[in-house]
Amino acid sequence: MTTLAATRTRWRGTGFGTQVLVLTQRSLRALVSDPRMVVFSVLQPLIMLTLFSQIFASVANAPGFPQGVAYIDFLMPAILVNTAMQSSLQAGVGLVTDMKNGVLARFRSLPIRPGSVLLARSLSDLARTTAQLVLMLVFALAVFGFSPAGGLAGIAGALALSLAVSWGLGWVFLAIAAWLRNAELMQTVGFLAMFPLMFASSAYVPISGLPGWLQAVAEVNPLTYAVDAARAMALAHPVTGVVGALVTSGALAAVGWVLAVKGFRRPL
Amino acid sequence: MNDLMIEATGVGKAFGAQQALDGVSVAVPAGAVLGLLGHNGAGKTTLVNVLTTLLPPDRGRARVAGFDVVREAHQVRSRIGLTGQFAAVDEQLSGLDNLVLIARLLGATTREARGRAGELLELFDLADAAKRPSRTYSGGMRRRLDLAASLVGHPEVIFLDEPTTGLDPAGRLGLWEIVERLVDDGTAVLLTTQYLDEADRLADSITVLSQGRVVAAGTSAELKAQVGQRTVTVTLADVADVPKAAESLERAGLQPVAAANALTAPVTSSREIATVVRALDEVGLEATELALGEPTLDDVYLSLAHQPRAA
Repeated sequence: MTTLAATRTRWRGTGFGTQVLVLTQRSLRALVSDPRMVVFSVLQPLIMLTLFSQIFASVANAPGFPQGVAYIDFLMPAILVNTAMQSSLQAGVGLVTDMKNGVLARFRSLPIRPGSVLLARSLSDLARTTAQLVLMLVFALAVFGFSPAGGLAGIAGALALSLAVSWGLGWVFLAIAAWLRNAELMQTVGFLAMFPLMFASSAYVPISGLPGWLQAVAEVNPLTYAVDAARAMALAHPVTGVVGALVTSGALAAVGWVLAVKGFRRPL
Repeated sequence: MNDLMIEATGVGKAFGAQQALDGVSVAVPAGAVLGLLGHNGAGKTTLVNVLTTLLPPDRGRARVAGFDVVREAHQVRSRIGLTGQFAAVDEQLSGLDNLVLIARLLGATTREARGRAGELLELFDLADAAKRPSRTYSGGMRRRLDLAASLVGHPEVIFLDEPTTGLDPAGRLGLWEIVERLVDDGTAVLLTTQYLDEADRLADSITVLSQGRVVAAGTSAELKAQVGQRTVTVTLADVADVPKAAESLERAGLQPVAAANALTAPVTSSREIATVVRALDEVGLEATELALGEPTLDDVYLSLAHQPRAA
């Protein structure tokens, strides 16, 4: 029977680049075939955007708030960074899902490098996060009257920075996923870590408006720097902290990569 | 260079204090099937995991398709196919996309990958469902897709870890035929199973594992010879005739054991059926039923696999 093995044009494996490309396409294909994930992941930040822009609108009159800035213009860059952060958790959840799904068991018996599976996961999540953030920006511009002084260039800068943060943090969650291998636990850990980070920062009110002890926390919260940098770009204020945010993201990605590959190599 | 496609020597693997594999050796030449029998926890899957590079052994050495499973894992992986106990397919992708994905990862072009996927879908009777997401497949279809996935790269060695678990009888038969065809093409197969008829039907040689050790190895016939003898069972119409029949068989040199209206006696060859018939004839009795019993692999399995340790 020729169809089984007689046509022994054997394939012996392929390069790292092709592995990453094929695996990234695979994850994106699943995303396109079921776009509910993107739609629902946009809903939550949209709700936050709606509520916060109403609840905290009076903050714009508080002392310490930048003069002549609409609250939505102040809020939106923070929402971008936050959404990007929460989205990074999905990279880890996706990896755990693949483990449960059985497809990783298949990949492990193929001549492919663990790094390419992880990098593909990370890249497809970056694509998903980009779609999510762009969708949110469209809403903010069209519905909420978001029009920061930085214009399109400022918005693009804030978007790019948010994506960099999401990507770096995504590697941390990939590493956690590779070791924990439990989606529910991941979600809980992620939420516990991110919820306080979100509020104990400059995201929703200027730091000077926070109580003293919270100010202290916010000062050292890395999220504050990412939010400040994204906001400064959007509002065309003097930008500080971009390099810091990028270096931190890069460092997280590097550490995450090493730990994720190590954890991923352990038997299922 | 020898032609052994699987060669494991003294493989040991412990999980904590538990010795999952304790000095296991197996050898499988090209075009042969090794059946690995054992109950749950005997170490079958651990051995498969070691041989497929998924688990490094603590002790011993193993070569698959001529490459060391530890030092040359990549080469091993490009030459093997693995069908585990749980279907390793991407449930979000269609059957076709699953197979194309694997072919592409193995280095096929998109066109080659589609060609190969089409062949396998046809072969495994999945062509009609090719474009449906595999999460909508039945259990049997998913297992077939999984097996197809492990054949994409024309592997030289195939590992089937309890491949027919969860298949209906027709599905099992279909899988057996595919394994037989693979073997005809020169593929070496290692098959773990709890189904004795499966090992009997497919395997050229059988290794029985118990608590991480090889407790018996040989061909199906050798194992049967080791355990059981052939027996002749005579069923009589009337229970009252049993003592008389037993006496006549004893005179003929047999050692019958009575149970209800039947007598069973060990024999060394099928020619002794004639002896039985003559002996009964001499006392004027006739058997309503006369059966020659072959020892089954169940006998082998039960008598060997539950022994804690073979000497």
